[in-house]
Amino acid sequence: MSDLNSAMTERYHNSFLKEVEANVEEGEWVKMCMQCGVCAGSCPLGNAWEHTPQKLFMMIRAGKREAVLSSDAMWMCTSCYNCIARCPRGLPITHIMHGLAHYAKRLGLVPKNQPTAQFSQIFWDNLMKKGRVNELKLGLAIYFKDGFGQGIKNALANKQLGQNMMKAKRMNAMEFFGGHSIKDTGGLQKMIKKAQEIEDAKIQGNS
Amino acid sequence: MSDEKKFAGYICTGCGIGERLDSSQLEMIATREGKMQSCKQHEMLCSSEGVQMIRDDISSEGASHIMIAACSRRAKVEAFNFPEVAMTRANLREGVIWVRPDAPEHQETTQEMADDYIRMACAELRSLKLPHASGEQSLNKTILVVGGGITGMTAALESAAAGYPVHIVEKQGALGGQAAGYAKAIPTRSPYKEPRDTGVAEMIAAIEASGLITVHLNSTVAKTAGAPGRFNVDIATESGAVSNETFGAIIQATGFKLYDPSNLQQYGYSSSPDIVTNAELEKLVKAAAGGPVKRPSDGKEVKAVAFVQNVGQSSSEEGQLSYHSGIGDLIAIKQAMYFKDQNSDCDTTILFNNLRTPGAAGEDFYRAGQEKMITFSKAQVSEVVPGDSLEVKFQDLILDEETSMQADLVVLDVGMMPNSGPDPYAVPIVIDEKAEAASETPRAPTVTVDSILNLDYRQGTDLPHLKNGFTDSHFICFPYETRRTGIYAAGPLRRPMDMRQAQDDAAGAAMKAIQAAENAGKGMAAHPRAGDLSFPSFRMDGCTQCKRCTVECPFGAINEDEKGYPLFNESRCRRCGTCMGACPVRVISFENYSVESVNQQIKNVEVPEEFDEKPRILVLACENDAYPALDQAGMNGVEINPWARVIPVRCLGSVSLSWITDSLNSGYDGIVLMGCAKGDDYQCHFVRGSAMAHERMDKVGDTLSSLNLEPERVVVYEVAITDIERAPKLINDMAETVEKIGLSPFKF
Amino acid sequence: MTEVIATNQTILVVGGGISGLTAALEAAETGKQVVLVEKRPYVGGRVTQLYKYFPKLCFPTCGLEINQRRAKMNPNLTILTMAEVTDIQGDAGNYTASVKISPRYVNDNCTGCGDCARAVSAEFDDEFNYGLGKRKGAYLPHRMAHPQRYVIDPAILGTDEAEKAKTACKVNAVDLEMQEETVSFKAGAVVWATGWQPYDANKIQPYGYDRFQNVVTNVEFERMADPNGPTGGKILRPSDGEVAKNIAFIQCAGSRDKNHLLHCSRICCMATLKQTHYVQEALGDEGKSTIYYIDIRAIDRFEDFYQAVRENPNVSFIKSKVASITQNKENSNPVLNGVDTEGYHRYANEHDLVVLAVGMQPSVDKASFPVDIVINEEGFIEPATENGGIFAAGCSSDALDVNRAVQQATGAALRAIQVVNRVAGTEG
Repeated sequence: MSDLNSAMTERYHNSFLKEVEANVEEGEWVKMCMQCGVCAGSCPLGNAWEHTPQKLFMMIRAGKREAVLSSDAMWMCTSCYNCIARCPRGLPITHIMHGLAHYAKRLGLVPKNQPTAQFSQIFWDNLMKKGRVNELKLGLAIYFKDGFGQGIKNALANKQLGQNMMKAKRMNAMEFFGGHSIKDTGGLQKMIKKAQEIEDAKIQGNS
Repeated sequence: MSDEKKFAGYICTGCGIGERLDSSQLEMIATREGKMQSCKQHEMLCSSEGVQMIRDDISSEGASHIMIAACSRRAKVEAFNFPEVAMTRANLREGVIWVRPDAPEHQETTQEMADDYIRMACAELRSLKLPHASGEQSLNKTILVVGGGITGMTAALESAAAGYPVHIVEKQGALGGQAAGYAKAIPTRSPYKEPRDTGVAEMIAAIEASGLITVHLNSTVAKTAGAPGRFNVDIATESGAVSNETFGAIIQATGFKLYDPSNLQQYGYSSSPDIVTNAELEKLVKAAAGGPVKRPSDGKEVKAVAFVQNVGQSSSEEGQLSYHSGIGDLIAIKQAMYFKDQNSDCDTTILFNNLRTPGAAGEDFYRAGQEKMITFSKAQVSEVVPGDSLEVKFQDLILDEETSMQADLVVLDVGMMPNSGPDPYAVPIVIDEKAEAASETPRAPTVTVDSILNLDYRQGTDLPHLKNGFTDSHFICFPYETRRTGIYAAGPLRRPMDMRQAQDDAAGAAMKAIQAAENAGKGMAAHPRAGDLSFPSFRMDGCTQCKRCTVECPFGAINEDEKGYPLFNESRCRRCGTCMGACPVRVISFENYSVESVNQQIKNVEVPEEFDEKPRILVLACENDAYPALDQAGMNGVEINPWARVIPVRCLGSVSLSWITDSLNSGYDGIVLMGCAKGDDYQCHFVRGSAMAHERMDKVGDTLSSLNLEPERVVVYEVAITDIERAPKLINDMAETVEKIGLSPFKF
Repeated sequence: MTEVIATNQTILVVGGGISGLTAALEAAETGKQVVLVEKRPYVGGRVTQLYKYFPKLCFPTCGLEINQRRAKMNPNLTILTMAEVTDIQGDAGNYTASVKISPRYVNDNCTGCGDCARAVSAEFDDEFNYGLGKRKGAYLPHRMAHPQRYVIDPAILGTDEAEKAKTACKVNAVDLEMQEETVSFKAGAVVWATGWQPYDANKIQPYGYDRFQNVVTNVEFERMADPNGPTGGKILRPSDGEVAKNIAFIQCAGSRDKNHLLHCSRICCMATLKQTHYVQEALGDEGKSTIYYIDIRAIDRFEDFYQAVRENPNVSFIKSKVASITQNKENSNPVLNGVDTEGYHRYANEHDLVVLAVGMQPSVDKASFPVDIVINEEGFIEPATENGGIFAAGCSSDALDVNRAVQQATGAALRAIQVVNRVAGTEG
């Protein structure tokens, strides 16, 4: 268990709902769910969910901390906003889902090899280097995340896609050697670091 | 006005009546057979000229009895409104020409139908008197309110605000009832977010300040005699002193008691002081006086509370309530807020199945509860395990799992039970003690309750119950109509309700009470024959003291004197005529409706001789449902057999067996009786009238067999107002039956 | 010109549905002068369009007959139909109301004989049947309409049809020159009872009421089930006229939803439970009903009714707010998509017909309300002292079933009487 995770478990002992309210973006809305299930039915990716949003909210209220934070459900959201449009109580469900994912990530509770989580991490790391997304490196990193052999297979399977992107000038082979960046990468990194500090302080100091 | 009777007939020839019927023949029948002293025809009798013509005859010619042959008695009522004379109407439009085909081969029988309706209307008219109030009535504007809780206090204040004096009789030593023990109440004003003050103190202050309200504390109603307008009530105090007051009308607002969950082992109510009912929690909260609520066992502050909803309710199990109080979820939200408002860290969980928070107020309050972080779980609680920390075991219906939670305090949502007096119509249950002892299953607790109103009525001491002890009206459209005229129930006595509903209900009951007092003062009937001045009277020398009238009156209106003669209380009477139908010796009558007035109609129908092969079918149709259905059949052009002669009756309960025997004796071939639905979901506007008629007609078979007639010649049906196709069919079926079994041998 | 005799001791009742009619009759039967203003050509309001009432499954016209008889017999009551209150000035005990009366083109002479309707051939959608059937250009709105007077549809004015109606009438009741008029009169107190309207199902886009013929509303279903209604009581699919046997009921269609009506409409659960009886009555064991719900709100005594439906093997309950309806193109069957939230079960259920249990929208227009009054977020009139001598009755005050509406309206009548009695006290 990560330090932060233990700290949070300690701090909110019995009330996972309160923990969510305090630490999850838009988490204060969770209590307003009336369990109608329209979000679950409206989600175009519904079949892929382990838990529907409405069920996740009920689990939060029932104190099922581990099950919620280690669920891969909130990682499946594609931000189509169908659930938000339909929710009779006006819950910002999409945002809550992302908020939950984010919080689980911070606590180190993301299920292992959760592809969306992995992609997000790779994307973030890629972006932070130069302040710009390096499409080539991003693609390669994703292809090879499960080892070299699998990476080659993935690359071959998506060959056509890569060629098309190059033709459309969306990807450049030369990017492999460094690639383009923003003017002040150092400034960006400083800025992000500061933001991280603020965020950490917030979550540590939260009571 | 002189007592001289002058009979005038009027025949309308409009709406096709003139084209379809020989109106001069009708006129001739009215004058020669019907003995109308005058008879006029008009091409549109309901026009202002036509009406004026009648008015002139009344004012200058002294017409005292008028017969109008035109459309149905249900049509053009405003035009043909002559309250100063006795009136009958022959239904030639809906009742004849609209239900008969317009073809030459039917002309003869259609005309015969019309002829008979003229004869019947004239005959009826000759036996009618213009109803007058008896002169016994008196106006007493004072209202008695029994019960000084929220409902009773509201009824008193609302009546007083309309200028009516009120007496409140309250059993306890203070006003306020159950609500006085509550910390707060469910909100009654938008945005319905916060519990509010109960308002009890303000109401008591307003009552004390009112010059119109007298309060009797520690008092009960020892005796209620009389009738609306002249209720004579003994009010007894605890000390034994009795005062006597008279009232115009009564409102019973005796509230509710709570279900006792002791026998429901699974909730552990008897095993732990920390498992309390919702009413007991109010006391704990009041005792905490704004501080943290302490649990009863050890005085420890409550940090987690579970509300178990729907305890002993919505259940078919013996000893539990089959209904649902409807407001328990709102109460739980309010009570959870007590904890949240005091300490937002207190865990409050409401374990419900269907959350019943209806309307705008309910849904607002539900959301407000969620905003305060009350946890709502759709759950089926299986057990509450007592202990230092109470364990509530339940099936989480959303997460679909057996689970449990810990709480310092468990609150049980127990149901409201009406605080009513004994049901006058309860079937007495003889408890066989031996059988009970041998029986494994525990019996439902039999509670004997004391009378509340102590009515000095032949039919019992209190308001009749409907179901589960509630005294509510059975009628969806007429929720205040009890079976005791001038006595209205209000509040949770009628059905479970919250304070806002109870207050609205109290205002409604006050409205009805005031109305009853006013109309009793004028000698006018109450609903549904509002305004009717007639009342039943009886010929004492013919009465055999058989008591059928006193037993069968659906409204308990008739008492008995010491010799067993009926004592009619006209302002209790609803003018249904069930007493008239009950009387075997035909001594009961109304000025505008009597055994004679119908008998005359039956007798004056021309019954053709046997070889004419024209049967006659008598149809006695309830004027409230069956008759309108037949009218609408006419509007739709549904055919009715030409042998039928329809007589509207006030209620099937008013049908005298003599009408049946007399008509059979005079050669009618079949009789069809049409009343309203009876039974649990009765639609009879006089409650028991239709049921009584059905019971009486069960015995008509004996009469038929004594006359050597086939039993199928007399049929009784339940007919609804929507039976526009069916009602005519039932008549036509009888025509077929008669064809099959042959004409009556009793023709001359 | 319509003349209305009224004083500061007169009670004005706005709306002649079951609540308004009740308030008016209770006051009139207590000896008060009452003027009842009704927008439709007849009194009775929406209950006239219901097949049966819950929980007794009795017929609304049964009580209507009694109420109409009370109205016909009572000299204290004046009824203005096709009339709307446009303005109210003054204070409690001294109001002046302006009422716009639309022309009926048929005067008091009308005997209800129906000659005009037989003469006219033009047909229009029948509003009484929510457009499920047709009526003539000269018509009696429904068989028990009170006043029993025909109406000429303004659409036939200036055509031969109107002339045909006029010629057919033997009692000179058809008056094609009739004009709209505005009358004003005094009133001491006002009972506001303008009732409700079914929530506009077109606004619930995912349910496709506007796109799929076999999606209907609960109020339409009342007409479909009524043997005296447009389908003769047969429950038929609008798409092909086939008998619908497998029927879905969607609860909270518009209610409990911040995108539509914020409040719970209270009656729809019971209305649906009642309508499953219609299915049973029409089809026996062949008829299957499925109820999609969030909470079944069978309050207090209605519990028995709910339990009885629960026990019916032909009725099933699914705790779910349906997410969307699609259509099977082959047979026009609506397909309901969603998740049963008890546990976690996705469904795509095909039905023959879907009934949307649309909510009650109060007919209280905040924007054009003729007088300053406290109206809450949901659109209901609050019982506020600031409202002076104006009292809400029935569904103007809350979403109520018939029984509760009548109860509430009876109380409202008393509150109006309190005002006029005070006036009488001061005026002597």
